[in-house]
Amino acid sequence: MGVQEGLLYASDHEWVKVTGRVARIGITDFAQDALGDVVYIEAPEIDRVVVAGESFSEVESTKSVSDIYAPVAGTVVAVNDELIADPSLINSEPYGRGWICDIRMDSDDVSHLLDAAAYSQLIGG
Amino acid sequence: MDELRHSPLDTEHRALGAKMTPFGGWDMPLQYPSGTIAEHEACRRDAVVFDVSHLGTVRVVDGFDRLQRALTNDLNKVAPGRAQYTHLLDPDDASVLDDIIVWWHPDGRTFDVMPNASNTARVVDAIGGDDITSTRAVLAVQGPEARARLSTVFAEAAAVKRFHVATLRWNDVECVVAGTGYTGEPGVEIAVPRDAASALWKAIVGSGVTPAGLGARDTLRLEAGLPLHGHELGAGITSLQAGLEWVVAWNKGDFRGRAALVAEKDRGVHRILRGIATDGRRPPRADCAVISNGRTVGVVTSGNFSPILGHGIALAFVEPSVAVGDPIDIDVRGSILAGRVVATPFVK
Repeated sequence: MGVQEGLLYASDHEWVKVTGRVARIGITDFAQDALGDVVYIEAPEIDRVVVAGESFSEVESTKSVSDIYAPVAGTVVAVNDELIADPSLINSEPYGRGWICDIRMDSDDVSHLLDAAAYSQLIGG
Repeated sequence: MDELRHSPLDTEHRALGAKMTPFGGWDMPLQYPSGTIAEHEACRRDAVVFDVSHLGTVRVVDGFDRLQRALTNDLNKVAPGRAQYTHLLDPDDASVLDDIIVWWHPDGRTFDVMPNASNTARVVDAIGGDDITSTRAVLAVQGPEARARLSTVFAEAAAVKRFHVATLRWNDVECVVAGTGYTGEPGVEIAVPRDAASALWKAIVGSGVTPAGLGARDTLRLEAGLPLHGHELGAGITSLQAGLEWVVAWNKGDFRGRAALVAEKDRGVHRILRGIATDGRRPPRADCAVISNGRTVGVVTSGNFSPILGHGIALAFVEPSVAVGDPIDIDVRGSILAGRVVATPFVK
């Protein structure tokens, strides 16, 4: 199962790419594989304020629905409209065009997140 | 929980990289690497093959009268060499204990009764016969090109017409072939002895037929408006509520559950199964409330995203006054999906 170097990970299977104070959020290859074909994304609204660990988005596949938890606290500043229109991008490019949203972080402390090696270990890879 | 049973095709599924899932006591393919939606689209556009070995086969020889008394439909409407869809009812409240396809062999004496996986034992209790499930695999080849592709592998099987049944030889093994399925597409189902199952599976896949798993089987049957036992049929649900009165042969004489079903017909059903199309891609799901003018009028039994239509579809039990064309809402975990009541099948 693909784990990408250079990203940070939450134990709930979200990935985080930090650029300055903005965190781009998606779900991992492991998560999309477990979900199966994704058919719908309930994305958070722009300007929504989220706390770390809060369920703020939903991803639905042909077989189930999964909550997406905010891996960091902050304010949603962008959502991926291309993904809303074509949710299958989350299966085909979970770390690329399948990103879900950007959060402007309240703090630059991301020490609670895992690095690629630790996440690989978590998922038994 | 008992250990899961494995299909004779288990090794083939694993070799193809299938993701497996427990279903009805069996470990069966949920999907292959191409995924549920690609498999679904292949069935609507071309041809797929499902391993449906988890369906039971109960073989009843010289059982015509027993089947007539046990099941709702009338075998006199068909003949040897034909298949018939029918129901087994609870004798007390007419709940549909199982929905069944009967394959009536051309010999006129042999009936292969095909219950749902988890219901095989109760069907044997009701009608007797031998459970021969473990002796064979069943392959369902389905899709507009199913017969054309199958004809390169097993031409006689490809020629079996809709709801016909034939006993045919493939490479010197005897198979039972029926023009039946569960997708809304043309195709056949082939019961093949277990030792020959892998060879036939590989030949069919080699002819360009896409392997498909239970995920696609479920989205396909839902688009076709077909009931799934445990959702649209089961405890407390009668043939009449499910809109399947055509399965009930009122005039053939007595059968299990008839009196209870007559009583329900006389007083009128208190709910009816309807199709609902919802706006947008969000899938309605089983157990979601169905709402009309702010009032709960029913509950979803199956729902999903329709890959062909591009929006949500659902089957739901609703009050009998809810009619095709009515606007209706579905409450999906607190979000309201707007929809309307539509005729089924959703996809023709």
